Order: sequence, then structure tokens, then C-alpha cells
Amino acid sequence: MAAVAASAGWLLRLRAAGADGPWRRLCGAGLPRGFLQSASAYGAAAQRRQVAHFTFQPDPEPVEYGQTQKMNLFQAVTSALDNSLAKDPTAVIFGEDVAFGGVFRCTVGLRDKYGKDRVFNTPLCEQGIVGFGIGIAVTGATAIAEIQFADYIFPAFDQIVNEAAKYRYRSGDLFNCGSLTIRSPWGCVGHGALYHSQSPEAFFAHCPGIKVVVPRSPFQAKGLLLSCIEDKNPCIFFEPKILYRAAVEQVPVEPYNIPLSQAEVIREGSDVTLVAWGTQVHVIREVAAMAQEKLGVSCEVIDLRTILPWDVDTVCKEECFLNLEAPISRVCGYDTPFPHIFEPFYIPDKWKCYDALRKMINY
Amino acid sequence: MRKMLAAVSRVLSGVAQKPASRVLVASRHFANDATFEIKKCDLHRLEEGPPVTTVLTREDGLKYYRMMQTVRRMELKADQLYKQKIIRGFCHLCDGQTLLPMQEACCVGLEAGINPTDHLITAYRAHGFTFTRGLSVREILAELTGRRGGCAKGKGGSMHMYAKNFYGGNGIVGAQVPLGAGIALACKYNGKDEVCLTLYGDGAANQGQIFEAYNMAALWKLPCIFICENNRYGMGTSVERAAASTDYYKRGDFIPGLRVDGMDILCVREATKFAAAYCRSGKGPILMELQTYRYHGHSMSDPGVSYRTREEIQEVRSKSDPIMLLKDRMVNSNLASVEELKEIDVEVRKEIEDAAQFATADPEPPLEELGYHIYCNDPPFEVRGANQWIKFKSIS
Repeated sequence: MAAVAASAGWLLRLRAAGADGPWRRLCGAGLPRGFLQSASAYGAAAQRRQVAHFTFQPDPEPVEYGQTQKMNLFQAVTSALDNSLAKDPTAVIFGEDVAFGGVFRCTVGLRDKYGKDRVFNTPLCEQGIVGFGIGIAVTGATAIAEIQFADYIFPAFDQIVNEAAKYRYRSGDLFNCGSLTIRSPWGCVGHGALYHSQSPEAFFAHCPGIKVVVPRSPFQAKGLLLSCIEDKNPCIFFEPKILYRAAVEQVPVEPYNIPLSQAEVIREGSDVTLVAWGTQVHVIREVAAMAQEKLGVSCEVIDLRTILPWDVDTVCKEECFLNLEAPISRVCGYDTPFPHIFEPFYIPDKWKCYDALRKMINY
Repeated sequence: MRKMLAAVSRVLSGVAQKPASRVLVASRHFANDATFEIKKCDLHRLEEGPPVTTVLTREDGLKYYRMMQTVRRMELKADQLYKQKIIRGFCHLCDGQTLLPMQEACCVGLEAGINPTDHLITAYRAHGFTFTRGLSVREILAELTGRRGGCAKGKGGSMHMYAKNFYGGNGIVGAQVPLGAGIALACKYNGKDEVCLTLYGDGAANQGQIFEAYNMAALWKLPCIFICENNRYGMGTSVERAAASTDYYKRGDFIPGLRVDGMDILCVREATKFAAAYCRSGKGPILMELQTYRYHGHSMSDPGVSYRTREEIQEVRSKSDPIMLLKDRMVNSNLASVEELKEIDVEVRKEIEDAAQFATADPEPPLEELGYHIYCNDPPFEVRGANQWIKFKSIS
């Protein structure tokens, strides 16, 4: 249930005995409460909602893909879509309100450039959008469907799981809808409440036949999205909406691909492995730095990138479970619906992650 | 100084006395009621429609005016609080439609056509309906700011407000329509002659589940009034670009329908009375399309001008503002005076101010309540927090 309700979760594993530190043994209710000061305790401070729970950490400028340009996440997505429509004459983009640029500006300028036959609005019908997209893909054209918020993907759940995922399998490879890509803004944003904050990748993570991808940055997003579009399997691409404007880095202008089903080790370490995806990668990067500085613990940070099929080999070698010093810890959102006023407490911010890490080491 | 104080107190007490003497004067000089002509409704599979004339009593007129003005001011205040970042999150205002003018006529007019024992369910533009269904402005604004004095204890926010016989406040577009059909079934089953008003917008009219609900309601003759509030835009897409048929009152196909001028509160009231009578007589569901308009954007994050022109908004605002229409009607037929209506404005403004004060000052719900009301259970169980060591109690 927690997996279902989770925002970007992360796993924590102890690989060797951690450093002995002079930290206190914390009981279950101790530190968390200390961190989770109830809003009323702060009075006026409670009126001002605090800043984002993470700090975006850009990767160094890539040199192997040619000229780069400063882009934020939604611009990187627009660039990927632009490249796709230029390369592939059968590619079409559709969804609610995409024509004027989209509610997050991911499709700005594309209709003017490629025409209203290739970039068009659909009525408000998610089940229809995905079903229609599957139909386009089955004929061989490239369909890029947008679901306006990941929270709205559920009317289309049947089409994705029962139709798209099973098409190739049930027809004995006679037909397929591999040229379908569904993109959707995903994840918490600080004020989205119940229906503009959900991270539903867990619902799709157990459905063979589709691929589920979540990028952590503009550079990753463009490469992964292009890979999804070109991949011959139906893909769901979740875009962390909080990063649309907050994440800015140098992104190549020309198309390039980042392979799917490959996790990336973005920080080497020897004591603890931290795995995350999407926005949460930046949270645990900070936690890893904190752990090194305050506890002398060396953390390995892995960005899973593709949720399904996931890169088992990078994350755990076959014998690893016999060698763990502590049980795997899952840090995620609460086992409640995504709350309205309680959102700051619900989010697994760096303090909760750090706390879990400390307990792990203390195990 | 004392003289000044005395003078001031005299003036103040004089002001306090004024309304009383005003009323006495009023009953001598104002008409008790007046007859108005209203627009004929377009009909689908109906022989007759609602009447084209209606009688508005002075009492009703003042009541509607006050309610509409309250809804409008409340929405404007919510807009203000949002811009001050005291309200966070998603805030779908219904002026014009939800917040502002336009939709005030809808919520007040609909309420005028039904009984408090009837049921109502709508989508996310719900603030006006929450008020007309009986909650106070204080509770509504406190819910918007997420405080414990809010109608959903601060846990729902803008899109999830509930009251007696008012089922919200629903975030997912179109999902409330099958719910409404279900409520109508309960009405029929209970045999108390109640109806259910199920509202949705022009965007939602293209959702598949709406048609599933139409079929069930017609098959089982449920007392359900489907109401499509057509404000011409589904977020940023105009109806012409979203719907193959923009005659939303005909989309029920086998369900009879009528198209109503949603800016005229009297038109809405008469149509609602007609529709409710139709349903109560056991003939089954009926569909109403309210033609309305929203001045603001879809929500607070939508400026509302990237997909339509400012001139269009201005034109509608100046010609079809429901509050203005009602005011003109009442003043011209001698049902009320301009000063009297101005006084109502002042009172409403004060009420909203007080409510906003409360909504800003009320404390937020305690952190312990984060895990409450997930399930209905006897012994409280533990809710897992962000990691396995954080636990919250869940109590119902």
C-alpha cells in the first residue's frame, strides 16, 4: 500500500558495517517528531509555505553530443518533441490543451511549426486519448499522447494495462502498439493536494509489456524521452512537474539517446546504497553528502531512471541479500492519500531520509 | 472632545436605527412582487418547456441578490487571499462561472428551484454551491486556507467541500456524474420524492462515464437532473474544438433536455423547478444545459487570456452580468431601491471580511490528524509514515 501511495521512494541498504559514530540511539517517535514540528508551533511561519524540499543539482555539461543550450525541464521536453517530429514524419502529439502550448508549456511552438494536423487537442477523455493513441500506433505511426496530470491517468488504466501492454503478446507479434508514448506530469509540487501530486508509477510497475520511465533532470529527460519515442514498446514517461522550471542545465540541441532499463550510479560509495528516481534523486544526493560529512558514511547513489523493466544488475548483485548488514529500508510518502494541508509532512524530505539512514547504520 | 464623542454616538445610533425606519418606508413604497419575462428554453424531446414569465417577490429578490453578492465577494476574496499566498494549491474560482458573475446565477438559481432536502453534486468549481447548500462563508474560506475551522477540517481544500445533501467538490472531471446517478437511485429507493442535481461542465461532457450514467439513469428512470454548465471553455479548449456536438442539452440522446440562459437567475430558477417537477413525477432523468461564462481563467494558475480575447471577456461582463441584471430588474420594477441594495453590499462585504479574518487566523489542523479517516475502523490502527519508524494513528 505504501508503494502505491509513495512519491519517489528510495531504498536504503547497508553493505558493510557503518562507521561508529557518536550519535544518539533514536527511538521510533523521537527524532521524527522533532523534525515534524506541527505548523501551529511556528505561528506566523506556518503562513508562509516553505521552499521546495530539494535543491536541484545539475549534472556537468555534456560534451559528447555537440552544441548545448541552457534549458529547463519543459524546454528539454519541447526540444525532444521537436526533434521527434522533425525526424519522423508520422509522429503526432495530442492531448488536452496541447495546441496552445500545454498547461506546462511543454508543447509551445510545435503546432505553429508542424501544423495542426500533427499537434492537436483532444476532448477531455483520458480513456479515449490512450485508446485512440493505441490505434494510431497499431497502424505504425508514432503517437505521443499527453495525459495532463498523472493523477488523471486512471480512466486510461484499462487501455494501458489490458490493451497496450498485451497487444504484441496476444497477437503473436502480428500487431503491436510500440510507437505509442504517453507522457504525463508527475509527482508532488508543494501545493497540489490530492489530485495534482500523485506518483502512480507503482501501479504500472507490475505490468509486463509496457515501459515506465522517470527522469531526474532536463538532460536526462530529453535523452530518455527520445529513447521512449523510438523504443518499439509502449512507454509511459513521467515528468516531475516540480522540476519543469526548477531544473536548469545545459542540454544538447541535437537529438541523442539515453538507453532505457539502465540505472545510473551518480555517486560511488561503499557503505550504503541509496536508490531513487525523479525529484527524489536530488533529495538523496543531499542526504549522501550529509551522511559523508556528519557520519563519515560513504553512500552510493543510484538513479533508477527506468522503473519497468528495471536494472536489477546495477542495483543488486545476486548474492547481495546474503551480505546485507541491515534490512532494506523504504522511505516514501505516508500510507494515506496525498494530503492537502499536511503535504509538507507527507513528503520524504532529506531529514526523514537522513533519519532512516542513521537508523539503518545503527541497526 | 466629549461633544464630538456625543455627536459621533448620535450619528452611529442614528445609522443603526435607519434600516428599521427604512423598512417601514419600504413597505409603503415598494411593490410586493413583479412579473418578468424570461427567455424561452430550447427543448429536446420535450413537448413543453418552463414558463416564459415568472413572478419575483421582493423578499425572494433581496434574498437572491444577497446570496449572489455573497458568492461573488467570497470568490473575489478567495482570489485575493490566493494572490497573498494565504490560500495555496489549486483554486478554481466560480466568479462569472464559479466565482464570479455568471455562475452565481447558476448556484443561486438552482438552489431556488429545489428544496433543501434535495441532493446536489458537482465538480471542482464548488465554492458557490457549498454556500448555497447551507455552509457559512467562514467555513468555506477556512477550508480554502486549510484550517481546522474549515468544512472538511482543512483536509480537503478548494475542491473537496461538503455539506448536508451536498456531495462536493470532486477533483476528477466527470467522476461525479455516475455518483449523482447513484444518489438519484437512493432518492427513488427511499421514496421521499427527492431529486439529485448532478452537475458537470462542457469539458466533462466528453468523458465516457457520463454516457454510462445517462444510460443507467434512463434505464431505471432515476430522478436525476443532469446539468451541464457550459462556460464555453474546457480549461483552454473552446467547445467548438472539443465537442462534435455543442448542443449539450441534446447529448443525452434518449434523455429529454433543455437549454437555459445561465446568466439569468430567474430563467435558471424556472427551469430547475420544471426539471425537478419532471423528475418527481417519475418520468426519469432530464438534462439541463446552463449557458454561462467564466471571467477568470480555469483556475488561479490560468490567466485565461491565452486562448480567448480580453474583448470577449469584457463584452460578456458588461452585457450579461447576473448580479447587474437582477439589480436592474428589481430597481426598475420598484421591488427595491438602489440604496437598499447598496446596503446589502456593505453588509456582505463586512461578512466576507470577518470570514477572511477568521480563515487567516484559525490554526491549522493538528499534525496527528494526518492519518485520520482513511478507513472506518474500530480500534485505531497505525499508519506507516515516510519510513518504517514513523507511525501515525488512524482514527475515524
